Amino acid sequence: MSEVKDEKVGKEGETTGVTTEEELLLPRDTLLSAGTHIGTRMKSRDVEQFIYRVRPDGLFVLDVKKTDERLRVSAKFLARFEQSKIAVAAARLYAQEPVRKFGEVTGAIPIVGRFIPGLLSNPLYPKRIEPDVLIVSDPRADSQAVIEASSVGLPIVALCSTDNDFSGVDLVIPTNNKGRRALAIVYWLLARQILRERGELAADKDLALTVEDFETKISREDEGS
Amino acid sequence: MAERASTLSLVTCTSCGKPIPPGTGSTKFLCPNCGEIQIRRCVKCRKFGRSYKCPKCGFVGP
Repeated sequence: MSEVKDEKVGKEGETTGVTTEEELLLPRDTLLSAGTHIGTRMKSRDVEQFIYRVRPDGLFVLDVKKTDERLRVSAKFLARFEQSKIAVAAARLYAQEPVRKFGEVTGAIPIVGRFIPGLLSNPLYPKRIEPDVLIVSDPRADSQAVIEASSVGLPIVALCSTDNDFSGVDLVIPTNNKGRRALAIVYWLLARQILRERGELAADKDLALTVEDFETKISREDEGS
Repeated sequence: MAERASTLSLVTCTSCGKPIPPGTGSTKFLCPNCGEIQIRRCVKCRKFGRSYKCPKCGFVGP
């Protein structure tokens, strides 16, 4: 029922400026099957504006259109920075491979695994980096990165799920930031959109890498355990 | 002394409208949507996740 209502809003939106289904960066079914809209059973007040509905099992569901809209805005924002001045942090295991691939494609600096304290803020640390903007995969998991970027005054773009708050974050992309497939698809879309904004990729062309390349691979041993 | 005080101009926070004291923690960036207006956010507004609105395009963040 709610889906039907949503589609009607999309069709009417052609005149009102609301993003229609045809204008989404990827087909709606692809986004839904990847679970980019799935949130958690917890909800923070900050994310309320991006929540579409609550499922009977208590899961909060994010609005795919708003995710799409924010991905476009974020890509536009990130494309204004020099590619080597963008840092991407990923402490979560499932975000690490997408972030590495994102770095390969866009030229951004990937910071995967443990974030070494002082990496952004300690001038005496020899491996210190000085980016102009920071992307974090989860503001909670990457809290050290958020703290340091805040202290040095870097703008922060964050992938936020329904349980995150916006403390220290300057631009939010509401999405599932825990799912393997969801993270791959979001980083792939962001990379593609950034390249399109920079003019390095035609508007109708896709990346050479597929979404599967961005996905973290699970070995047989991991599956068994 | 009075002359110095009159020439001192503090930038204001886009979220709360208060002057941003010099120091670390605040940030500035171009509006993510239109890229024409500079958004400035003070430490407190960033910490509490207060929203900001671009005066030109009306984009509301974070």
